[in-house]
Amino acid sequence: MALPKVYTDSLAYFCLKAEDATNQILTSKYNPFYYHGALPQFFLWVLFLSGLLLFAYYIPTIDNAYSSERLINAFTSVDFITNQIPFGAVVRGIHRYAGDAMVLTIILHALRVWWTDRYRQYRWLQWFSGIVLLGFVFFIGQTGYYLVWDQRSLVLTRMTCYAFEALPVIGPGLKAWFLNGEAITNLTLSNYLFIHIGLSFFLLSGLWLHYVRMARPVVTPPPVINYALMAILMFVVFMYPITMDRMANLTQQPSNFDIDWFFLWPYAMLTSWDPTVFWLAIVGVTVFVSLLPLPFLNNNLSGNVLAPVDAAEVVGSKCVGCQLCDKDCPYEAIEMVPAPAGSKFKLLATVLPHRCSSCGLCVGACAFDAIDLPDMPDAEVTKKIKTLLAQS
Amino acid sequence: MTKVMTLICERSCDLNDHLDERSQVKEVPGCYVVKFPCSGMIQPLMVEAALKSGADGVVVTGCQIGDCYYREGNKMIRERLLGSRPPTLKKGTDRRRIIGLWLSKVQVHRFISEVKEFVTDLDKLGPVGPAK
Repeated sequence: MALPKVYTDSLAYFCLKAEDATNQILTSKYNPFYYHGALPQFFLWVLFLSGLLLFAYYIPTIDNAYSSERLINAFTSVDFITNQIPFGAVVRGIHRYAGDAMVLTIILHALRVWWTDRYRQYRWLQWFSGIVLLGFVFFIGQTGYYLVWDQRSLVLTRMTCYAFEALPVIGPGLKAWFLNGEAITNLTLSNYLFIHIGLSFFLLSGLWLHYVRMARPVVTPPPVINYALMAILMFVVFMYPITMDRMANLTQQPSNFDIDWFFLWPYAMLTSWDPTVFWLAIVGVTVFVSLLPLPFLNNNLSGNVLAPVDAAEVVGSKCVGCQLCDKDCPYEAIEMVPAPAGSKFKLLATVLPHRCSSCGLCVGACAFDAIDLPDMPDAEVTKKIKTLLAQS
Repeated sequence: MTKVMTLICERSCDLNDHLDERSQVKEVPGCYVVKFPCSGMIQPLMVEAALKSGADGVVVTGCQIGDCYYREGNKMIRERLLGSRPPTLKKGTDRRRIIGLWLSKVQVHRFISEVKEFVTDLDKLGPVGPAK
């Protein structure tokens, strides 16, 4: 079932050791491990910009009946971008490898928050929304491969239909939605383009749910890291130029294709697995990973994981309404409300318990001893300090 | 004996195997430890209280800067001690007697060697004088 505690501890140990080693070289200010959440966001911006350039020349059809002289379709437009537009092939390469890099950095991000035990309790929404968003990233990336409309796109389209047909009840509807009709037509390609771009914007707005409640979310790595990432990306783009298969031919049944393992791994599974088993595996793994924060799958835990932690409490008679805790709280869990009638002050701090992580940062921010963690009031901490120093 | 009060984040260096029953670091006699859920919870008032109640020095320890199990806690207390984020230390506080160590769970030996060095520095400073 869940990993034994000693094993999860050693994974955390591995993370800390790796980060410590990186700190020795890069210092903590430029350690990419400390921006693991911002790295995919950076690649998302790269994808939006390069995608915008590709969108300018892309034509989402499989044929063009009105042009007798020269076939103008999705494949020839991509070919035009690659071979005629200055640096078109480079932009395509950036778009493809930035997608791969985004998946890679999301996986690193997820592994780090899992191994260092930062995914459960008050963070369950971040964990769960992250899983949903990663699903979107995979699907958006796969639609990118359909858009090229080479032989590989045709195989992938047919395999997707095959997988949808195996689904009970919703299968036929999904297939009709996916093809935008009953067969592959021009409308299919325009649907792919809509899914690819539309879902990308949905992903961007969905990230709001991932960042909600974070005061000052770290969504941008320092410029130096961005430059380094772009340099690595450009190196890959020039070392491994992007390729294209022949134009899709609906009368053929191609079978071999190159696999981008970051996005097309489900198709590799589909080539050897029964589609029902495939869907059971996908749904099973997703549900299991989503439920990881639950206590019975988690040896680090005791008690009810869905209940809020013991939230900080304001001592109403001491609070002067200075807003320092409100400004410093990293989870936006403090709300300043008008002070009750008869108070000398204008504002009173209140805690939103469902947001509180019980970290005590507000206690450190308070110069009036007016906010406490229930199991560790600051008066007792000070008493303990004095007692320890008084002995011997 | 030189007394050092260590205010430490419980997710920072793991001192569990190094403490005696009086919350004293075995390797550094006179170094007492109070644990916090996060170093961000440490108030400058607590640092001052320790100095007033007989500590020769105070060690504030949090996770490595950039890393915090919660969020930003170690950065906050660091800025408070350096005076760039309110509440700060009182003006008369002897800052030579306070150090910040930003260490991960696995850096216990670094912690012990840094504290030993701090103790020798404190010995050179002599006993705490009257408040200015």
